[in-house]
Amino acid sequence: MSWRKICAVSDIPENSLEKFETDGIEILIANYGEGFRAFPPRCPHMDEPLCESGMLFDGLLTCSKHLWQWDMKTGEIAGMAEKDLLMYDIKLENSDIHVYIENALVYEDDEEAEEEDEEDFFNAD
Amino acid sequence: MPARNNKQWNAAPNLELGEWVDSRIYSDEDIFEEELEKIWKKSWIPLCHESELPEPYDFRTAILAREPIIIVRGPDKKIRAFLNVCPHRGMAIERRPAGSFAPAQPSGNPKHMTCMFHAWQFDMKGNCVDIPREKEGYQDRLDKSSQGLRALRCEVKYGGFVWVCLDDQTPFNVESWTAGAMDCIKDSLDEEPLEIIHYHRAIIDCNYKLWHDTNSEFYHDYMHYHNRITGFDDGYFKRKCSAFDNGHVNVGTFTVNYEEYEVAEDRGKLTFPHLPPDNWYMVDMFPGINFNLRGSVVRFDLMTPLSANQVMIEFRGFGLKSDSAEDRAQRIHHHNTIWGPMGRNLHEDLVGIAGQGVTMMPKSETRRILHGRHEGLYIHDEVGMRHFYDVWGKWMDRLPSDPMQKYKQGKVVGPDMPPAKGLSVFPGKTAS
Repeated sequence: MSWRKICAVSDIPENSLEKFETDGIEILIANYGEGFRAFPPRCPHMDEPLCESGMLFDGLLTCSKHLWQWDMKTGEIAGMAEKDLLMYDIKLENSDIHVYIENALVYEDDEEAEEEDEEDFFNAD
Repeated sequence: MPARNNKQWNAAPNLELGEWVDSRIYSDEDIFEEELEKIWKKSWIPLCHESELPEPYDFRTAILAREPIIIVRGPDKKIRAFLNVCPHRGMAIERRPAGSFAPAQPSGNPKHMTCMFHAWQFDMKGNCVDIPREKEGYQDRLDKSSQGLRALRCEVKYGGFVWVCLDDQTPFNVESWTAGAMDCIKDSLDEEPLEIIHYHRAIIDCNYKLWHDTNSEFYHDYMHYHNRITGFDDGYFKRKCSAFDNGHVNVGTFTVNYEEYEVAEDRGKLTFPHLPPDNWYMVDMFPGINFNLRGSVVRFDLMTPLSANQVMIEFRGFGLKSDSAEDRAQRIHHHNTIWGPMGRNLHEDLVGIAGQGVTMMPKSETRRILHGRHEGLYIHDEVGMRHFYDVWGKWMDRLPSDPMQKYKQGKVVGPDMPPAKGLSVFPGKTAS
């Protein structure tokens, strides 16, 4: 994988998110007014599809489900978010948006508790 | 005998203890409540089949002894059962009968169970994974790690049925609970994956045990027009009834002569694995479940007691997951010609218990219901009911023929059969 042309700059109106798929990998591209960002389509909090739940205004991406936020200019956490948004590198060439994709970026799930022994579990105080 | 006056009508029948029951066991509301506590909350109940939730994040909801239950399949494919109750304010978390948590929902995130009331969220293992504004609201006084769902004992067993028990301290697993009653159909159910091919349900104004009684005796053939005139050979009347621990009964097989049936054809070709062609086994599980393997299809009845005088009966049919489209259509046809809502038998059976329900409403006068037929432990023998009510009496510590008295053993079985082995293990008690 490498740099891939995803869409034209004009495909994404200001303050909006668009979802694209390339070789089975889904990515979102955000136009935050002063530039573009590319990231996986799910909120790192609870897997909400950001193309539906995400709101983009004043450089701030907000997942409307539980109000996690990221600053699109710096790419950093803002407000209540507790996990970084994973980002793909992005560049503009001839009014087209290119994204560097090696592998799909995936959020690591929270560690779930080890499976307990059933008898211990059901007889615990 | 001539007609009887009130005193004669209410006198004990001239049968032995255990050969009749008092109709209050079918109509008394206090006894009904006690049954939920002492029996339904202590028993292993198969609430659905794994093919009803085939994919990760699929779920099925159910009711067991008034407790709302949710059964989910995790991303690890494992099926788990929980109370369908939010630990926050007691809201029912999921209200659909079945569906998937995989996609995003209006009030919930993908891959989570979400209580729509205040958006508490749970994963498929029952962990509470999100309490909105947890720190602001609870500071450090309450942590989501302490707010998981109530997990229930759950086993997928005997061809993929999902068994749940509300009693954490049950002395049984599913195998010891069934006590050998399922052995006659176990290999047929377990050979390859089953798939649900039929579902319908009936809510009947009668006590749940009346349906179980109907499934446990076969001489209501008199009610079934088609059964009376066709289909049965001598083998039919030589099907053996066998009693097992914990109140279960099964009925041995015979070869059904489908050529004698109207609108039915031989089922030999599609007969289930390990079953001789056109054979038929039936298992009645205490306190209200029935497995019926009839040649090419399995029928499964699950009773959900709703009140002393109301029961929901869910009827499921099963084929093999590997069925071709043609075979599947044939199985569905076989199922429906006998057991569909307009099949040969089922609606007539329901008419029977609805008629009993009319005469045994709460506060109806007490009646004596006879279970006294002895016919060599073959299918017109009422040993199935006698065995059921003997175990019922032990669990309830009530005498079925006078439920205001304590249990004592009556004449349960016929002369050529000893009492079922043991009859000894039931919660909190050990019989001599």
